[in-house]
Amino acid sequence: MTDERDEPQLRRLGLEPEDLDGHTIDELTDYLEAGRQPADPSIDGSPGCQLALDALERLRSLTPALVAADTADTGPVDSSWVDRILSGIAMDARAGRRIPYTADDERLDLGITEGAVRGLVRSAEESFPGVVVGRCRLDGDVTEPGAPVAVAVEVSVPYGEPLPRLAQYLRTEIGAQLAAHTELNVTRIDLTIEDVALPSEGGADDGAQ
Amino acid sequence: MQEASRAGALERADDRIVAGRAIDGDVDAFAVLVRRYTPMMRAYALRMLNASADVDDVVQESFVTAWQRLPELEEPAKVKSWLMRIVSRKAVDRVRSRRAHADIDEVEQAAPPHASPPRVAEARAEVEALAAALRELPDDQRECWVLREIGGCSYDEIAEQLGVPVTTVRGLLARARKYIIVRMEEWR
Repeated sequence: MTDERDEPQLRRLGLEPEDLDGHTIDELTDYLEAGRQPADPSIDGSPGCQLALDALERLRSLTPALVAADTADTGPVDSSWVDRILSGIAMDARAGRRIPYTADDERLDLGITEGAVRGLVRSAEESFPGVVVGRCRLDGDVTEPGAPVAVAVEVSVPYGEPLPRLAQYLRTEIGAQLAAHTELNVTRIDLTIEDVALPSEGGADDGAQ
Repeated sequence: MQEASRAGALERADDRIVAGRAIDGDVDAFAVLVRRYTPMMRAYALRMLNASADVDDVVQESFVTAWQRLPELEEPAKVKSWLMRIVSRKAVDRVRSRRAHADIDEVEQAAPPHASPPRVAEARAEVEALAAALRELPDDQRECWVLREIGGCSYDEIAEQLGVPVTTVRGLLARARKYIIVRMEEWR
């Protein structure tokens, strides 16, 4: 560790091995990060090490405040920034499998993408304010007409609603959307209430009117 | 009104719901992630690149990569740390390519300028002092410190990302810590 002794002003402040009863800052950092366990008497009994550990610990405790201050300082995220990001991504990236419609006329080949079906499932949230549909999976061979398909949906629901009744309501809505717009043989709809969202802080402004 | 209230609900939904929906290809949900995590990602890139003009480019590249790779995100609830890892990688890439350039046409890296003691309100003084000390650090020390202390990377991960041995990472971190502590002591 000879290179650590090249900086004279550091030696003055007592962070070199000769100030630390032979220990190094590297070792002391490991010791601190291990919660000072197992206890090392040669560190715990060294005033130099204790001073260095205190300084390291103070530095560590400051880091979250630095991150918070930096984050607050980065300025607002305006809509032009969001547009800039969105303009750089492929919107149809997640079309998924193609789900055929049966047609009497063999010259017709109609289909709907899995991505569009997920969009239909999500639209069920519009039937109940505060509901947000999250991830949606279609399990089964959707490319085969008539094959059984299980739909698994995660949702966030607003606080205060009786959950079983709301779940049943949403399940019915999703089933109705899929029946109206697809030919999928939906055998089950599994709904997982993943989050119960509390009303927004101090927000009297988003009430249903 | 209905429309606005629905957008509000998505805006407030937790990460798992929003990221799960973005994985499914919902651009509105992805936009929520962009709004939610741009500040943190900018802040991280800012420290990593020492306030260079590349910050926005790095954050934008990170989001483009994130959109492409969202289907690989196994735990949508952890989208925040996943995004931070992506921005960390992108920032490191930027740093490395910048250094490759510098090796060719730069003679000697200028000594970092010494900042004058920050004069700010008591409450923020220590944070400001830490920020100023970080700005003075040589690039390699600062990068290690940011990856470790802000990015939460292990020594092995830092070594892998920066392409240097773990012993070097330890040495750089020790020097960075000593430098920061000394500078902060001087400003007390």
